[in-house]
Amino acid sequence: MNQPDVTIGIGGAAGDGVASAGNTLAVSVARQGQAVFAYNSYQSVIRGGHSWLRLRISAKKPLNHGDQVDAVIALNQDTLDRHLQELQAGGLVLYNSAKLKPRYEPPKGVQLCPLPVPQLTPAYEKLPVMQNTVAVGAAMHLMGLDFEGLASVLESTFAKKPQVVKVNVEAAKAGFDYAAAHFQPLPKQLQKTSRKWALMTGNELMAMGAAFAGCKFYCAYPMSPATHILEWFAGHAKELGICVRQVEDEISVVNMSIGAGHMGVRSMCATSGGGLALMTEAIGMAGMIETPVVVVNVMRAGPSTGVPTKTEQADLNQAFGASQGDFPRIVIAPLSMHDCFRTPALAFNLAERYQCPVIILADLLMCEDNETVDTSLLDVDFTIDRGELMTEANAQFDGKPYLRYEDTPSGISPRAMPGLPNHLYVSGTDEHDEDGVLLSDVFTDPVRRKKMVDKRARKMDTVLDHVPAPTLEGAVGAELTLVGWGSTWGVLVEAVERLNQEGISANHLQINLLVPFHVKAVTDILSRSKNIVIVENNFSGQFARHLRAETGLVARGHIRKYDGEPFEPKHIVAGVKEILAGKDLVNVLSTEPGWRTDHPTGTSGDWAGRLVGAARSV
Amino acid sequence: MAGKTNRIGLEAVSYRGSKTTLCAGCGHNAISERIVDAFFEMGIEPSRVVKLSGIGCSSKSPAYFLGSAHGFNAVHGRMPSVGTGALLANGTLIAIGISGDGDTGAIGIGQFVHLMRRNLPIIYIIEDNGCYGLTKGQFSPTADLGSRLKTGVVNDLPPIDTCALAIELGATFVARSFSGDKKQLLAILKAALAHRGTVMLDVISPCVTFNDHEGSTKSYAYVKDHDDPLEEVSFVPFFEDISVDYAPGTTQEVTMHDGSKLYLKKLEDGYDPTDKIAALKRLHETQRRGEFATGIVYIEPDRDDFLEQLNTVDEPLAFLPLERVRPGREALEEIMESLR
Ligand SMILES: Cc1ncc(C[n+]2csc(CCOP(=O)(O)OP(=O)(O)O)c2C)c(N)n1
Ligand code: SF4
Repeated sequence: MNQPDVTIGIGGAAGDGVASAGNTLAVSVARQGQAVFAYNSYQSVIRGGHSWLRLRISAKKPLNHGDQVDAVIALNQDTLDRHLQELQAGGLVLYNSAKLKPRYEPPKGVQLCPLPVPQLTPAYEKLPVMQNTVAVGAAMHLMGLDFEGLASVLESTFAKKPQVVKVNVEAAKAGFDYAAAHFQPLPKQLQKTSRKWALMTGNELMAMGAAFAGCKFYCAYPMSPATHILEWFAGHAKELGICVRQVEDEISVVNMSIGAGHMGVRSMCATSGGGLALMTEAIGMAGMIETPVVVVNVMRAGPSTGVPTKTEQADLNQAFGASQGDFPRIVIAPLSMHDCFRTPALAFNLAERYQCPVIILADLLMCEDNETVDTSLLDVDFTIDRGELMTEANAQFDGKPYLRYEDTPSGISPRAMPGLPNHLYVSGTDEHDEDGVLLSDVFTDPVRRKKMVDKRARKMDTVLDHVPAPTLEGAVGAELTLVGWGSTWGVLVEAVERLNQEGISANHLQINLLVPFHVKAVTDILSRSKNIVIVENNFSGQFARHLRAETGLVARGHIRKYDGEPFEPKHIVAGVKEILAGKDLVNVLSTEPGWRTDHPTGTSGDWAGRLVGAARSV
Repeated sequence: MAGKTNRIGLEAVSYRGSKTTLCAGCGHNAISERIVDAFFEMGIEPSRVVKLSGIGCSSKSPAYFLGSAHGFNAVHGRMPSVGTGALLANGTLIAIGISGDGDTGAIGIGQFVHLMRRNLPIIYIIEDNGCYGLTKGQFSPTADLGSRLKTGVVNDLPPIDTCALAIELGATFVARSFSGDKKQLLAILKAALAHRGTVMLDVISPCVTFNDHEGSTKSYAYVKDHDDPLEEVSFVPFFEDISVDYAPGTTQEVTMHDGSKLYLKKLEDGYDPTDKIAALKRLHETQRRGEFATGIVYIEPDRDDFLEQLNTVDEPLAFLPLERVRPGREALEEIMESLR
């Protein structure tokens, strides 16, 4: 990247206001033409714990949260203790000196930036969160950005309460000015641009993508990290005219979606792995009765309740195997934020054209974290393909009995909107004949059973024509091809750049259509690759096995991670080097001091940091 | 030979379905026949009907009535949610759901509970034989305490009273009948078609193959002997100009949503089906005596149904043209402005 990027880490306990400080900061820099990629590492607690939000900021859109921090805003002592050691020369830490004191020596060249918050803001006594506003104001100056951008955000955030605006703007200004007078700015300074960015999460984009593709029915049972999709729909139901309901469990959720889809409405539902487990029987039903439905699984670390606030890509096998029996299904994994917006439209088109369930596999990293998006790149005028759907408007009755499950050459049987005169039928979850009459009531009928299985399966023959094949990114003929799927795209792009800078020639292939699989295109690309390294956020290499099953290709090496934290570019670069040195499997662990639980405020053991003299005597 | 036609000019054959594959004498067949009669007599256009069901012998029966209506056999116990989704997408359809006491009382009880809370406009019929017919006669959750299987196994758990549960949860029309009582069942079904909101109708429907022996409390003989009608039900649809005379105090008259009238002639001890507490009390008392209170157990004709409570557009979502389902660039820009 030739544009400077700055990463700010904000840490505190749940309830300290990490998220809102981060949001204020992110929107403030976005209004000054900066793109942001945020990653929040947190736990499933309402109060307490440790929440660590990293914002990577640059005029050029960052594709991941990077692998180091330039500045830390510590909202509590724990953050100061944990993350001070992660800073490098030129880095700095901001904290309220009335409340916190560094207990460890900072690494060499790291600037301590104590903020005397009570002196700077008279409102502090009554409103302790003022420390956050002061720190954000200071950070704004130290990154080289304007105060006005921040003031305008505070004004719009508290628009309804002029008094609150005043207090906050004063506090922010005090922080900004204090930093100007007392601290060294960061070595990397950001430049204002006129580019317009909007800040949002993948969940919001996924919901919007569905709404703008004509989704009129959405129901859900709350489950992290998919809950915000429901919240977005609920918040926009009225203005966009969408029927949104929270219902009793995921079994009802998916069955309702299928009921609505069956009647001719575009319907989607979203959950995480546990909810998908409950939905599986109905997914098979959609396969059998050939009803379109789109199911989103925002993956979190499993199994079972797992780690509800941590990311993973370990539900691939679950998506392949959701429901008994053989039936056509489509599984898509969006690669980026823009893809979160595009994918529901693609999924609806495929679900309706092929009259089958479509599973979208996204994950916590991509769906919960905030990122800036250039909204002019979001296309809302894409083609909507409702497939062979017969409605009042286009249906013709030729006098022949209507066969809902007609055995056509393509396997796709024209679908009449229920209630269409002369096109009435029964949809049964039992095996049925072309007219919908159950076969299971017949003594045995191998011929018709086989015919119907073949008919359904044949639908998949043309799916690949409607989804672009993946293409190789980077130089053909590189020493090494990194292969990933889903949300790891952004981190792999940067890792490849760095490897090339370090003289290791690498290129990159990212897969987004998992079922059916672009066997020919992928084989063509990868059979020319000298060394294949597969990167995935799970333990057992579910994708590696899938690739091998589909193409017979075996990778030279594997980089995997299943510690709950997402990949960073440095993990991939280091992993590749280990593989080139002869290893075939590298399991990455996030090892920054901040992740460690063996520090004084954590669970056990000695802390590797060097205590400062004063603190040692406490 | 032209038969009698109804008010929309259709003959009874238009309301029949395919030939039943259930056992001869199965209560479910008699219920299908009454459904045919009720839809015929009420003059309902079959293509406006959606028949929903789960899995079980009972859930197969939609194939045996209204052959020209739309049908959806869902998976076991999931008809309530499929039906909710279907009606939210297209509320112009007249929905009739057929379930069994296993499909509802066991695997589907969670869905049933939430369906009753919604007052979705659906006629929900439980064809209640106290056993799982399709899987060969095991006890279901509506089997009475002490009822015996053919093998001698005695049911050791108390039954779920689906009527009491439905009343408790907010259903607005709750009735119990017996597949062998043609007159009462037909009157209730016709009234059900005039009701706005959820009709929960539990019809005791003996399984002749697995649960019709001595010792079973859901056999034809037992039910006939222990049927304790709450009232005498007569129904006069809005399109028939008939006035019913009754002596004051002997009959309760209920005006249905569409203007039809329901006349409930009181029996010796009097019964008021608009009184929730009395209804629950009566259900408990009859059950304690080992009897079945049949008739209209509870009715609340005026409550808004689920579709009226949702603030979506009036026409079915399923019929909206593309230009009305896509919000478009301007709407997107408006949303984005709030995120900048
Ligand atoms: C998930 C699932 N579990 C079990 C079954 C097997 N099964 C089919 S019908 C049935 C019980 C049906 O009983 P009931 O609803 O009372 O209907 P009846 O056959 O008595 O009319 C069962 C257990 C199934 N189809 N699906
Ligand atoms: S097994 Fe019982 S419930 Fe099933 S069709 Fe036969 S009699 Fe009816």
